[in-house]
Amino acid sequence: MTRDEIVEKLKTILKYTVSNPEELLSNLTEESNLYTDLSLSSVGMLYIIIAIEETFKIKFENVNFEDFQTVKDVIDYISKEIDK
Amino acid sequence: MFEKYTDKETYNKIVDYESVSQMWNHSVKTYPNNIAITDDGKEYSFTKIEEDVSQFRTVLTDSGVKKGDRVALLSPNSYDFVKAYLAITTLGAVAILLPPHLDEMTVFGCSMKFDFNFIVYNPVMEAKLSFVKEKKPSVVVISTDKQSDKKTPAQDVSGDDPCSVLFTGGTTGNSKGALLNNRAMMRGTKNGCYGVNAVFEERYLLVLPLTHVFGLIRNLLTSLYTGSNLYICRNNKDMFKDIAMFRPTMLVMVPALAEMALNISKQFNKNMLGDSLKYIICGAAMVPPYLVKEYKKIGITLLPGYGLTESANLVSGNPEVESKPDSVGYPYDGQQLKIVNGELWLKGDNMFTCYLGDPEENKKAFEDGWFKTGDLVRIDEDGFLYIVGRCKEVIVLSTGENVSPAEIENEFDKIAIIQDSLVYAEEEDGKQYLALQVYPRATELAKYSGVDKEAFIKEEINKVNKTLPPFKRISKIIIRDKDFNRSPSMKILRKQ
Repeated sequence: MTRDEIVEKLKTILKYTVSNPEELLSNLTEESNLYTDLSLSSVGMLYIIIAIEETFKIKFENVNFEDFQTVKDVIDYISKEIDK
Repeated sequence: MFEKYTDKETYNKIVDYESVSQMWNHSVKTYPNNIAITDDGKEYSFTKIEEDVSQFRTVLTDSGVKKGDRVALLSPNSYDFVKAYLAITTLGAVAILLPPHLDEMTVFGCSMKFDFNFIVYNPVMEAKLSFVKEKKPSVVVISTDKQSDKKTPAQDVSGDDPCSVLFTGGTTGNSKGALLNNRAMMRGTKNGCYGVNAVFEERYLLVLPLTHVFGLIRNLLTSLYTGSNLYICRNNKDMFKDIAMFRPTMLVMVPALAEMALNISKQFNKNMLGDSLKYIICGAAMVPPYLVKEYKKIGITLLPGYGLTESANLVSGNPEVESKPDSVGYPYDGQQLKIVNGELWLKGDNMFTCYLGDPEENKKAFEDGWFKTGDLVRIDEDGFLYIVGRCKEVIVLSTGENVSPAEIENEFDKIAIIQDSLVYAEEEDGKQYLALQVYPRATELAKYSGVDKEAFIKEEINKVNKTLPPFKRISKIIIRDKDFNRSPSMKILRKQ
């Protein structure tokens, strides 16, 4: 799966968790911060992690969710896990 | 009241126990081979747990624990928590349940405030004991891993004997430690059995902390009381995988989690909660009627209830056969309720004894033996209870009129595109007015593509605003990009 394909799938997930999806997702870059730019709450983060596991059939194991700060961190993790 | 909503056979099995010790003995004898706990890939029958508990009682007594002693328990949700909690309480000692998110300084602070001399800890929490060990070396620390070959039987414990100390949530004030005696714990457990017919030998999945009244009493103790199987979900991110594997029939959740589960189901276009789930018991925060309606569409009964740490679980609950989505249901038997200037006051066997180490708070909380809940309520003609707001949150306008923000928020929360709202007073040029912040519900908003979202939300809010009495109308609307700041139990904090 290419990086662009991962981004598109991630946007579909985020659409359900951010309150103003059109504006936020059109401005989304890999540097976007999950907390300050996308304003994700703890429940929102839980949602994303569950949805990513379900969509990409990967697992978040032995990682601290708080270590993921940017969209890039999440994409890197997904790419790494898919390639395993 | 609940007799008519429960079949006779089930109703007759819901009996009183004086203490956790008495209830536990009864369950071990009645359901010896039932699986009571499933955790970390292992299953534990009632008989096996009693074996482990009786050996851990020996560990405790060998460490000097006696009936009436205060014993802190510091452990995340796990089988070890259950084993240690049962061992402490069936010895007649008092379990002080320290939330696992506390830091080492707060653990030490608790040892001073609650004056305990023993801490039972899960080894994963050992680092949090460093301050206590240094500053109060007299505290005996006992690992849940410690073992003994010798068995010690459960003690006779009476209803009046103190049982547990639970932290209150508190969205406006500081957390307090509510001391509940054995009778209160058991009455709260019994109340958890009413309202639905499928109660005994069911399958529960635990997603709430066991240090929370809802996790401890409505999940663990109700499950043990009814011979049910409790599956401990160790990480909420695995909730749906655990659900698919364990196939629970009953879930106890706070509204924020129930909403998240619903959204996940919608996104993946399948019921992620499985085909076995019959009921979601929902409380600990305002339950939006939207959730009740949406869950009904996928065949799951979501029953809102109202409870407090101080009332050992639920004060009221919606019966399955006759529920009202915007109400918190009928008050359970065995309680006395009175409404004083709109505030709910309670008396009953389920009520806590006092806040431990907080004489000032106790003075404020009680009057003539009644506990003043601080919640503003009303009761309708059918006897259903509604939460209108919190006394502490009441806004006194410059006109002298009193406004309960929660009452107004409830009206805006009925709009499907609004997930949560917060009403508060603002002042400008000496003039006071009401302001509203809302966090939109993304799944509902997605239905309106191509529409000016902000204008649409404001239009919907204004429609509701016009229906309110003039002094309760809001004058400023803020649409949030970010969810509200919340307490550990996911309630919205009034101070954002």
